[in-house]
Amino acid sequence: MSAEFDLTDRILSRRTLLARSGMGLGALALGELLGEPAAAAVGNPMLPKQPHFPAQAKHVIHLFMNGGPSQVDTFDPKPELQKRGGQKLPDGNLKTERPTGDLYPSPYTFQKYGQSGIEVSEIFPNVAQCVDEMAIIRSMHADVPNHEPSLMLMNCGDARLIRPSVGSWLTYGLGTENQNLPAFVAMCPGGYPIQESQNWQAGFLPGIYQGTHVDTKHRQIEKLIENIKNDRVTRSQQRQQLDLLAELNQRHLDARQRDAQLESRIQSFELAYRMQSEASDAFDVSREPQHILDMYGPGTQARQILTARRLVERGVRYVQVWHGEGQPWDSHDDIEVNHRRLAKQCDQAIGALIKDLRQRGLLDETLILWGGEFGRTPVVEMPKKGSNQGKINGRDHNHWGFTVWMAGGGVRGGTVYGATDEFGFKAVENRVHVHDLHATMLRLMGFDHERFTYRYAGRDFRLTDVHGRVIKDVIA
Amino acid sequence: MSLRLGSLLIACLFSTVITGVFTFADVAAAAQLPPEQVEFFENRIRPILVEHCFGCHSAAADEIEGGLVLDNRAAMLKGGDSGALLVPGQPAQSRLAAALRYEDETLQMPPDGKLPAAVVADFEAWIAMGAPDPREGAALAPRDIIAARALKHWAFQSPKLAPRPAVENQAWPTTEIDFLVLARLEAAGIAPAPLADRYTLARRLYFDLTGLPPTLEQVTTFQTDQDPQAYTRLVDQLLDSQQFGERWARHWLDVARFADTKGYVFTADRNYPHAYKYRDWVINAINRDMPYDQFLKWQLAGDRLDHGDDRSNLAAMGFLTLGRRFINNTHDIIDDRIDVVFRGTMGLTVGCARCHDHKYDPIPAADYYAMYGVFQSSREQQDDDLPLRLVDTEKPADSRIFLRGNPANRGDVVPRQYLTFFTGEQPAPFQQGSGRLELAEAIVDPGNPLTARVMVNRVWGHLFGGGLVRTASDFGMRSEPPIQQAVLDHLAASFMQDGWSLKRLIRTLVLSSVYRQQSKVAPEVAQADPENDLLSHARRRRLDFEAMRDAWLAVSGQLDSTVGGASVKIEADPPSRRRTLYAFIDRQNLPGVFRTFDFASPDTHTPQRPQTTVPQQALFLMNNRFAHDAAVTLADRQAGDGDTARRIGEFYAAVFARAPTAAELAIGTRFVETPETAELEHGPWQFGYGRLLDDQGEDRTVVRFAPLPHFSGDAWQGGPDRPDPKLGWALVTAEGGHPGNDQDHASIRRWVAPQAGEISIQGELKHPAEEGDGIRARVVSSRTGVVGQWDADHQTVGTNVATLQVQAGDTVDFIVDCRTNPNHDSFQWPVSLQLAGSDERSGRRKWDSKQDFRGPGPVGLTVWQRYAQALMLTNEFIMLD
Repeated sequence: MSAEFDLTDRILSRRTLLARSGMGLGALALGELLGEPAAAAVGNPMLPKQPHFPAQAKHVIHLFMNGGPSQVDTFDPKPELQKRGGQKLPDGNLKTERPTGDLYPSPYTFQKYGQSGIEVSEIFPNVAQCVDEMAIIRSMHADVPNHEPSLMLMNCGDARLIRPSVGSWLTYGLGTENQNLPAFVAMCPGGYPIQESQNWQAGFLPGIYQGTHVDTKHRQIEKLIENIKNDRVTRSQQRQQLDLLAELNQRHLDARQRDAQLESRIQSFELAYRMQSEASDAFDVSREPQHILDMYGPGTQARQILTARRLVERGVRYVQVWHGEGQPWDSHDDIEVNHRRLAKQCDQAIGALIKDLRQRGLLDETLILWGGEFGRTPVVEMPKKGSNQGKINGRDHNHWGFTVWMAGGGVRGGTVYGATDEFGFKAVENRVHVHDLHATMLRLMGFDHERFTYRYAGRDFRLTDVHGRVIKDVIA
Repeated sequence: MSLRLGSLLIACLFSTVITGVFTFADVAAAAQLPPEQVEFFENRIRPILVEHCFGCHSAAADEIEGGLVLDNRAAMLKGGDSGALLVPGQPAQSRLAAALRYEDETLQMPPDGKLPAAVVADFEAWIAMGAPDPREGAALAPRDIIAARALKHWAFQSPKLAPRPAVENQAWPTTEIDFLVLARLEAAGIAPAPLADRYTLARRLYFDLTGLPPTLEQVTTFQTDQDPQAYTRLVDQLLDSQQFGERWARHWLDVARFADTKGYVFTADRNYPHAYKYRDWVINAINRDMPYDQFLKWQLAGDRLDHGDDRSNLAAMGFLTLGRRFINNTHDIIDDRIDVVFRGTMGLTVGCARCHDHKYDPIPAADYYAMYGVFQSSREQQDDDLPLRLVDTEKPADSRIFLRGNPANRGDVVPRQYLTFFTGEQPAPFQQGSGRLELAEAIVDPGNPLTARVMVNRVWGHLFGGGLVRTASDFGMRSEPPIQQAVLDHLAASFMQDGWSLKRLIRTLVLSSVYRQQSKVAPEVAQADPENDLLSHARRRRLDFEAMRDAWLAVSGQLDSTVGGASVKIEADPPSRRRTLYAFIDRQNLPGVFRTFDFASPDTHTPQRPQTTVPQQALFLMNNRFAHDAAVTLADRQAGDGDTARRIGEFYAAVFARAPTAAELAIGTRFVETPETAELEHGPWQFGYGRLLDDQGEDRTVVRFAPLPHFSGDAWQGGPDRPDPKLGWALVTAEGGHPGNDQDHASIRRWVAPQAGEISIQGELKHPAEEGDGIRARVVSSRTGVVGQWDADHQTVGTNVATLQVQAGDTVDFIVDCRTNPNHDSFQWPVSLQLAGSDERSGRRKWDSKQDFRGPGPVGLTVWQRYAQALMLTNEFIMLD
């Protein structure tokens, strides 16, 4: 089925363009059907496209808790762990990145919420209010306990090789609904997470599908989006300049036969002109009414999560919201203080996001994914020179078992899927590999992950490679 | 080197078993089985296999799935990649039955839907009776089936010179390929497009051969040259220029996935210190017209060649070593090298055989691990003056096959040797060191059917806007055949015969009549040859990123044409003026501008660049400093002498290398003579000094305000020194500032209301020092006078103002003076102003002194500069007819 998503069909080749130009009205009709002027329809790889099936979700907001949030302190309560703190694991500890010791109970309490009565930790009281919208997968597992390969696996479906990120796949497959904004936005306050822009790489897909990195530490639009502002001409001067350009281009075009390639480039300047104001508007949360600002709360997380809503509302396909540069959730030490602080930074805004999307009627078409690249051990991390400071009050990386949750677009709310062992170390029931999560996300977005391919270097590549199983139980 | 011609048996098998037709031979075999079992098979089993299974599991299938074929009894008993398919007599233990029952979610066949229960029961019954199957023949391995098919694949036959076909129009062809192209055009009843005019040809040729636009003078010289050899001489002149090597080196760097950095390697140094020397070696080799076979040998095995005293050729080995480091994972580094070598030189996707035999091409996994052994037997050596290079290890060793690509799961040892399909029945293991040199020799061997074809096709693609084979780095069995195989083969054969000279190949192509056609296409031709497969006209092309950026630099008179040297960050501020080829390529965080303009991904080998048209490209050219600098320089250089028409003429000469038409002159004149309507806006804040004049009577309070003249990078102040001899300590920073030395030199942050409304002000004044006599702060409205006053004396005080009415243009001043002396008077005073009651549509409604703090505002572009920029934005400038 790769022909269905053969890039040459989408970024129309020059050969096809010439063919189209011979077809005249045919090309025009195609463009108009897609709701864009004919010229823009040709050569623009970002025009909206239909997936394999009617999709439940049209947009994704991926809230990336980079560094690895602890499941037993957030969404996977373990009474047995609480009881047996300080004891050794009966069968010994699973191997993780660093030395670990005895069972280390969660410093937080859990409480039941919503009609579903799912238990959530005290550090996420606002997210917990939305538990009936959420499907919590407690049986995630990945391959290794290291940040780099696990980030790559979570984002691109392969721990090491150059593969396109989920957002790149989806913008390739679906285009975007708003040509005046980037299709795939990766927001990260302060700079980059570990592995940097590889997390939103286009891999072997054309570079235009790569995520646009936005450092949400800034507020000024020119620091958020490259070349979005012209500080040397006024808007009316620029309009006059583009009018001049259009006139010269029209004369050039008239002297040639109809050529979609030329028309497409003419159109791109008009799109760019509109993008300047639309992007400024989309990223300016100060335009929100006070009650909405209050709902999301103060701080950088609130600002970027609210921005995420403004973006999907405007048709952006894929928004990734990183908690911060580096690996903020990597609580090898002082987990009680650090996890509480980190959760406090985003809890109110995440809860607000779900409620806000719901009240706007956007939740059903927006898939929210919350999680890190892996979880953390239920056993305490032991001192190791150069890594933790010997405090013995944190947790090591854990790829054996961890939790992510989804909400919105097509997700069966109020669901708990899968389980870790009685201490929360290893996924044991209905295990979900990262490939399975990807297959499920693609399904929610309308794709059969086995048929959604891109031919490169002689192979039809898939996001899920040769793996992946759709978790039907989390789909509404 | 000869193609493997064995396995005739396989070829014969195609005609019988595979089709599923019941034949005489089968009847004879079936005689040994009880007739009722044969009948059961023929009636209940075989039709199902043919209808539901052979699409993916037969030697005749386009694509054999799971290494499983069901063509005869032996094949069925052998099973596929996942192991045995059936256990005769034991339906419960047979995967076939389980798959048909659709029990296990991961094992369901056929994939498009479960077969009726009766059919499943038939299969179970059939297995229970011992899976009687009258179909004779040996088990066919998918590998052998593919190899047999590959014998006939066009790309695996040696390319041959084509005889010259007869043509009607004897006047048109100038080269052998023109005869080939014309013969097909005539057969289709299509006339080739007229030759392009000299202006168009000059632009096409300059960009194609040098990547730079011709100047007006160069175009004119060519246009007025009466010599019949004028075109040929221009071609030779450009082939001899240094810029030729620069242009064509970049094409090769796409193949070589060149970058200056290693990618993500934790905290280790990311830079490849001498990567640029590889780039410079490529430029030099192309300019010297190093034969392509040697060019490849230096890059693959330069360490084994005699370089005499000249070590510079050793830089060629950057080809292998400058890939991504994959966090220093050896297997992935080797995989990257195998991939760049085989896709890059032979158009073979050998990398597909890393985990299992290639699904479509005759490349078993063993071949991949033969190559793995070669690279594993090469170690890296870093010299002081060269890019990283490979040298053979002391003890070269063969590799074992990694089953399913897993290094922990090793299979048989395979000797280091060339691809077995091309070496025949008895492959010869490499003898010298790692075998890299022998590999290089096999690749450039004139008997190799791929190497010349692949390169010729790449060159064609760059000159004609698309290859004869669309998949430039995959000539395998799933690739489309070339649109004109005779042309490709003829060029490939003569390329080798002619000593692998790239310059002569390119020369032949650009001298051809096919190349010199115009791009305008008659409607009936567009109808008859919509894909231009007949090469009935030239293709209009967009300049690629390098040519476009270089052209902006060139026509604006900014281009630094230095050849070679260390890479430069072209996106730095101010932007570099070097040719784009010299850009520092950071493969980890490639700057957005590269991706926006479809630059080749430096992560892996790029067969051909995508071509997209997106608004981000327009935004760069409209708003980036690079474009503004070009516009300013161009306009300033072509300053004219006050005569509008003459100046427009100079602009056209510079940008388009031609004169404007009367209409263009009129359009330009109208544009530059339009009166200016608006000034550039610098935002609502101003930074200055002065004092409150509080003796102006009751209803009129005035602030004397003058801007602070100097910006230090983080503060507005009196001059470069602090204190300034005249204005003293007065300064304004993002956070706050410092009052001047007396009441006449208070520090003033001024806000000019952009719109009318009711505002509220929040602020917090802090005087952190322990010493001194503190400061006095006032908020003063130009409409209502002093609206707040606070003293801060080693403390922090709130400075909120609940409401204040303003009209557009009113000023609100935040004034801090020193009281009696300015010692220890540094202060912080972040303030924010919020407009009440406005909705989403009214635009901005909150201003923050810290966020909005700015240095000097930019200088607006003049109308002539905007005109210059517009000319460089045109399709005429960016597209090549």
